[in-house]
Amino acid sequence: MSTRVLVCCGSGGVGKTTTSAALALALARAGKSVAVLTIDPARRLADSLGLDELGNEPQQVPMDRLGQGSGRLDAAMLDMKATWDGLVSRFSDNDLDRDRILANRYYRFASTRLAGSHEYMAMERLYELVESGRYEFVLLDTPPTRHAIEFLKAPARIAGLFDEGVMHWLSLPRDSRGFRALERGSEAVVKVLKRLIGQGTISEIAEFFDAMKGLWDTLRERGKAVEALLASEDTRFLLVTTPAPAARAEAREFRRLLEQQGMPLGGFLVNRVVPAPESEAAPGPELFPAPPPGFDEREWTEICEGVARAPELQARLATSEQDSLRELAGEGVQTWHIPELDNDVHSLEGLAEIASYLQPAVEALTR
Amino acid sequence: MRELLDRRVLLVTGKGGVGKTTVATSLALEAARRGQRVLLVETAGSNQVPGLFGHGPASYEAQRVAEDLYTLSVTPEKAIEDYIVQQIKVRALFKMVFRNRVMGPFVDGVPGLHDLVQLGKVFDLERETSFGRNIWDLIVVDAPATGHGLTMLDAPRSMMELTVAGPFHENAKLVHELFVDGDKTALILVALPEEMPVNETLDLYERLGAYRPQVRACVLNELHPAPFTALDRWDEARAALSRPELSEALACTDRAVLRARRQEQARRRLSQLPCPLLELPFLYDRRLGERQLGRLGRTLGAS
Repeated sequence: MSTRVLVCCGSGGVGKTTTSAALALALARAGKSVAVLTIDPARRLADSLGLDELGNEPQQVPMDRLGQGSGRLDAAMLDMKATWDGLVSRFSDNDLDRDRILANRYYRFASTRLAGSHEYMAMERLYELVESGRYEFVLLDTPPTRHAIEFLKAPARIAGLFDEGVMHWLSLPRDSRGFRALERGSEAVVKVLKRLIGQGTISEIAEFFDAMKGLWDTLRERGKAVEALLASEDTRFLLVTTPAPAARAEAREFRRLLEQQGMPLGGFLVNRVVPAPESEAAPGPELFPAPPPGFDEREWTEICEGVARAPELQARLATSEQDSLRELAGEGVQTWHIPELDNDVHSLEGLAEIASYLQPAVEALTR
Repeated sequence: MRELLDRRVLLVTGKGGVGKTTVATSLALEAARRGQRVLLVETAGSNQVPGLFGHGPASYEAQRVAEDLYTLSVTPEKAIEDYIVQQIKVRALFKMVFRNRVMGPFVDGVPGLHDLVQLGKVFDLERETSFGRNIWDLIVVDAPATGHGLTMLDAPRSMMELTVAGPFHENAKLVHELFVDGDKTALILVALPEEMPVNETLDLYERLGAYRPQVRACVLNELHPAPFTALDRWDEARAALSRPELSEALACTDRAVLRARRQEQARRRLSQLPCPLLELPFLYDRRLGERQLGRLGRTLGAS
């Protein structure tokens, strides 16, 4: 089965996780088999998917609760360390190397704290889900970044670590003194490094790269495969954003960088759009009754004035948002709006409500 | 506010999109207005501040954008170079050793180095003097979004753990000491009045660990005015107002009441934090410029 990939990018706080899950649900309800891979979500996402908890392995969302629909939705949450460990266990040359890597102090650092590691493993996990051949759509909810696009650059940074040159250089055979071969190669470099980070650390790093030797071809190949997948016709990048003016600059930058990297932009999903009221005219004072029992004159007047002002304030808010939305639409990219909802999403039913607004996106993306 | 601006370094952090840059810039402007010589530092290559003042993009050197207010943008790449050159003294050696095809990606991948060097740059700026006096009275840092902001504060400790000794270790220790010194450094959290951003702000506070005492203010941004005070009596009042001519106004009020209740809840939950809660209004016209930012700064200054 050919699998389409949707990568949902966006800075934090725009509702990216919920929107990705809602889009996945909308696709599943349109009859597709879908997996959504989410990153470090609040525990509430499990609730709104009707699951007890989310883990590295995909779990089926109980969609039958929603009635009609023949698709299937699986959800998983990225466990960065488990994915690294799984990768090492699966592709190490032998058990000895595997254990050496898993026990190495530098590896434990790299697999949890290396800048870009999260993004790299998200890509790896995405690739595994696509590789499984079980899904028509795999959605990736990316880690929040200040700029949506940072996500795309991070894996390359880690992949660079396993560049052939670095690997050879760091994993040259060592004699009993630790680093002779290395020192002969580039004495100055090692002297500087040793002074900066200490002999012990260098040994550990070298040990790590030495143990990784059997893995590096695999990592490089997989890196290339992921890159090819992301640039392929089967992949679309979506930007989840809000009507805030700052979003426009972000959207423009997102588009520019995608183009630069030859990656296909699918559209902008704009969250929490305030609808314009049908009329912003303040209702006349004659429409307001006298204070009902239990309200004193002053309190009642304040409430009535608030009600009378409400359409105008909402219109102002909507106008300010429409300005940003117009500019977004001016980017010439497909834009889908989700209205501001009364409450945060806490249940599968709530998620289905958002999904219902995403029908146009589903139609465009399944075409 | 006085107490806040008396420090050497203010780190403004929070989730992406909550208005960190707006808050950092407003605070910096307010400090400058009060006569301090202020440097506003953008991190992770972010470069939005000069545009707010109608200037071209900032470089790695301080650029004046308003009276007593200067700004610069730190990029990790440039900061790494500075940092290592400081240790090995010879820039040519840096280029040879670290910027070749083999070492380049490796250096970029060292855990926490990107974050550490950016804090290291702030550390250096803090110590800059001219004729025996600090050049900057106050440095305001527009820190990366949390998640990343947290990693950034963790970076010195990570480096200390990774390198058990050596100049990197020693330097990381100095940097760490500046940022855990509550007299010198204050953290300011920025939040939006919505459930998720508030959760994340409280979560961030918990995860700050050793840096928790440094949190000296939380700014609740983009508040809308409540339609009226008696929010809890809206259902009752709405019933009394139920007539077709008012339906549109009532629907709009429903929305405003919900928003106001969410804001109240955000206020209540954030006031659990052991620091003052400052508030900023939502701006309908958000083409921010010096005038609006100055006004926001005075709002913060007055609280």
